[in-house]
Amino acid sequence: MSKQQGKESMTEERLELPQGTLDLLILKALALEPMHGWAFSERLQQISREALRVQQGSLYPALHRLERRGWIKAQWATSENNRRAKYYRLTPRGQKQLEAETATWRKLAAAVGHVLDMA
Amino acid sequence: MLSDLLYRLRALFRGKEMDAEAEDELRYHLEREAEKYRRSGISSEDASRRARLAFGGTTQVEQECRESRGTKFVEDLLQDLRYAIRSFAKTPGLSLMIVLSLAIGIGANTAIFSVTSTLLLKPLPYPHPDRLAILWLRSPGIGIPQDWPSPGQYHDIVTQNHVFEETALAIGDNFTLTEHTRAIKVDGIEATSSLLPMLGAKAMLGRIFLPEEDEPGRPQTVVLTYGFWQREFAGDPNIVGRSITLDGHPHTVVGVLSPDFRLNHEVIPTVAGIDKPEIFMPPKEEAKNPTNYGSENYNIVGRLKPGVTMQQAQADIDVIAARLREEKHRDRSFTISVVPLMEQVVGNVRTAVLILFGAVGLVLLIACTNVANLLLSRATTRQREIAIRAALGAGRARVIRQLLTESILLSLMGGVAGLGLSALSIFVARRMHPGNIPRLDELGMDFRVLVFTFGVAILTGIVFGLAPALRASHVDLTANLKAGGKGSLSGGLSVRHDKLRGALVIAELAISLPLLVGAGLLVRSFVRLANVPPGFNPKDVVSMDIGAYGPEFKDPATPVQFYQQLAEGIGRLPGVTATGAISALPLTSAVGWGGMHIEGYVPPANEPELQVDVRAATTTYFSTMQIPLIRGRMFAETDTDKMPPVAIIDQKMADRFWPNGDAIGKRIRRSDDSPWTTIVGVVGVVKEYGLDTDTRMVVYYPHTQIRNGTLYVVARTSSDPASTISAIIHVVNTINPGVPVYDVATMEQRVQDSMARQRFAMTMLGGFAGFAMILAAIGIYGVMSFLVTQGTADIAIRVALGARRASILSLVFRQGVGLVLLGIVAGLIGALGFTRLMNSMLFGVKPTDPLTFFSVLALLLFVAVFACLVPAGRAMRIDPMTALRTE
Repeated sequence: MSKQQGKESMTEERLELPQGTLDLLILKALALEPMHGWAFSERLQQISREALRVQQGSLYPALHRLERRGWIKAQWATSENNRRAKYYRLTPRGQKQLEAETATWRKLAAAVGHVLDMA
Repeated sequence: MLSDLLYRLRALFRGKEMDAEAEDELRYHLEREAEKYRRSGISSEDASRRARLAFGGTTQVEQECRESRGTKFVEDLLQDLRYAIRSFAKTPGLSLMIVLSLAIGIGANTAIFSVTSTLLLKPLPYPHPDRLAILWLRSPGIGIPQDWPSPGQYHDIVTQNHVFEETALAIGDNFTLTEHTRAIKVDGIEATSSLLPMLGAKAMLGRIFLPEEDEPGRPQTVVLTYGFWQREFAGDPNIVGRSITLDGHPHTVVGVLSPDFRLNHEVIPTVAGIDKPEIFMPPKEEAKNPTNYGSENYNIVGRLKPGVTMQQAQADIDVIAARLREEKHRDRSFTISVVPLMEQVVGNVRTAVLILFGAVGLVLLIACTNVANLLLSRATTRQREIAIRAALGAGRARVIRQLLTESILLSLMGGVAGLGLSALSIFVARRMHPGNIPRLDELGMDFRVLVFTFGVAILTGIVFGLAPALRASHVDLTANLKAGGKGSLSGGLSVRHDKLRGALVIAELAISLPLLVGAGLLVRSFVRLANVPPGFNPKDVVSMDIGAYGPEFKDPATPVQFYQQLAEGIGRLPGVTATGAISALPLTSAVGWGGMHIEGYVPPANEPELQVDVRAATTTYFSTMQIPLIRGRMFAETDTDKMPPVAIIDQKMADRFWPNGDAIGKRIRRSDDSPWTTIVGVVGVVKEYGLDTDTRMVVYYPHTQIRNGTLYVVARTSSDPASTISAIIHVVNTINPGVPVYDVATMEQRVQDSMARQRFAMTMLGGFAGFAMILAAIGIYGVMSFLVTQGTADIAIRVALGARRASILSLVFRQGVGLVLLGIVAGLIGALGFTRLMNSMLFGVKPTDPLTFFSVLALLLFVAVFACLVPAGRAMRIDPMTALRTE
């Protein structure tokens, strides 16, 4: 997933996503509304204010993996520019997973932040 | 979890579709991205480039998408399997041989191990079977290797032993059941109440015997086995409490045993030689008498106390036997031996089964050797192909996996074929069940063994598939491609460069030779045995036991009348040319023997009393059986009970006491107080107990004078034996419907049946030797044809340079024969050791029988040479132009 990231130019202001975070971000984005892969990659860049850097290609294996786990569901539909695109939406199980992972992430971030503040 | 699995399954079957879908999805993404750039004013070409750059390698992403579907492992496997099958199809001969080798190895092993475990390893179906023992009297010093104990001895053992938790006294007997005006013969056991619980028998209906029924003067009761109850009483649920008529007396049925109870002749060999008891009864009055030492006709079985060993039990019984020896004036060699029940059951087949087991182990070894050998050949001829795959970027692990898939697939195919073969072998073994091999009717396929042999075969596949795979996977690419994948690892046309493969061939021959020699010896023994004259002419003679016993035959004159009347009736039947009767027919389980005194002969002090076989025969018995009269006369109608007693002896007895041919007129008697009997004739020796067994001396008395027991009736017929038999049974029923007829067979059948065990051993070992030889031939063929394939270029060059075809043939051929000769020399040494073990199974043939050794050598040499000749011939026909061009 993330191993091909940043092989080319590595700019300081862009961050590599830690292992597994991409999944969380996908779930979060899909929780708001169903969307296709390209829309997500656009959304990610906008929301993160271009700070997070994801090789666009690595998005798709992640999407397929989440689909296999039953957290998201895919469906072909007509896109905003009137073409067929594959839309993903969150399933109820995906919703639960998102909540669990969000909680874990917050705890982790808080704990790490706490340790760093102490030092 | 489940949805995950379903997804993967769907992905597996719709792989292509999903690939296309993913492709569409990625294309959409790239187009949108490029569109985004174009809108910001970048040229169309540049926009596409930038989109691709931001996206990363499309092919790689597609690959990752595929992997994220979680079906890669299976897809690779399917690919490998497809590839494997294609490559099998390319070398069908080689693949077939591997499968065949495995099938033989797995099949033969499973079958034979199933037999072994049924016969030797499966515990007896009784509680604490390892603590059960049977007791025998032995007096080897006076020629009695084994005899039945008496109630008196049983009583002494019960009261004086310290080792048995429980003991039982039993005796077998034949009874006549009269039911619905029909009489049938029933085998039964009369035993103390302890016998059935000791053998774990439970009553399904009613009860088994109570301890108080061992006391004198109890009402007559009977317990039926399940099978008998089903057959004779149609499973009547109200049978308990009913009275049935046995030997003319009413007996009350008190119980029916549960269906799983088994007891037969092998477990408790009763004096009556009954095969399977169908009824049980309390002991008869004579068995309850603690001073009855005379009736040595009983079996004693016992269960040891927990923790007591058989040796300790023997030591304890030795003390009792020593006391009996003193008090009852037994001979000096008298002992009572404690035989573990398992030993009793399988003792006499142990050697045969163990030899078979050894044989089959060797066959498995050969099979695995072959597979290893063939797989090595296979991998080596594919060096080039593997090198190409490696050059095209196949990872090492991937190549190994491919080769492993192939060898495991081959092993599995062999395994399935082996399963079929073992099922077939077991079917054959059951079908030819000789009847006198204990426990064979319990035979079924042993699944633990199947799993084991399957495992061994697959392991062989893995190990020997892996070795070449490892070697092949790091071959020097350039060297191999340059050399054309051939001849670079072995030295062209010389087997010397491939020591391992040569050694395998030698080993195979060395293993199969002893097996073949063993089988050959058994065949020779069998032929010898079949040619032993039985002393009578078995052709066209039917025989059956006709039981004139029971209350109406109490008067000794009645059975004599009955058999005379019967003989007249049978004599009138169409086709019957002669008929006679005797108390114990040869090659049946019937016996009869006793002491013998000869007038004027005093046995030396240290010699035991003379013991001879005793028979009561009718006048026409000898002429019907065509037993030759050597001297004197046959019995005559005039030899009635009013006339002086006469006897006929066999030649064996005549030769021992009257070697000058003057036996006629001499007098003998059965004991000190019986009348002197004059010898009037000498007849030929008859094989009483089997063609391979030496007979004892026999004395025949006229049935009219001795009048004992029931008789076997024989009739020589010129018409169909089956119709003669039913006609005789009809005659019996007309004279007296209460007389049962049993043990019906033609004399030829009896002769055949007496050789059943030998035939069984011969067929089994012969089968394995045959398998071993096929395997060895496959092995030789495999190695030699591999050699030729490897050396094609060498041969082509030689031929191109002018070598004659014949010299090519001899070049290849010589190498093969060299290996064969080495293998045969090693095999000969093995055979000499192996056949020594078989001594007890042979008849009239020495373990080193030169004819057998010579024939087997010739056969093996012929097969081996043929196996070399085929590839050598192929080498000879190689066309140098074609061969060199393909290189």
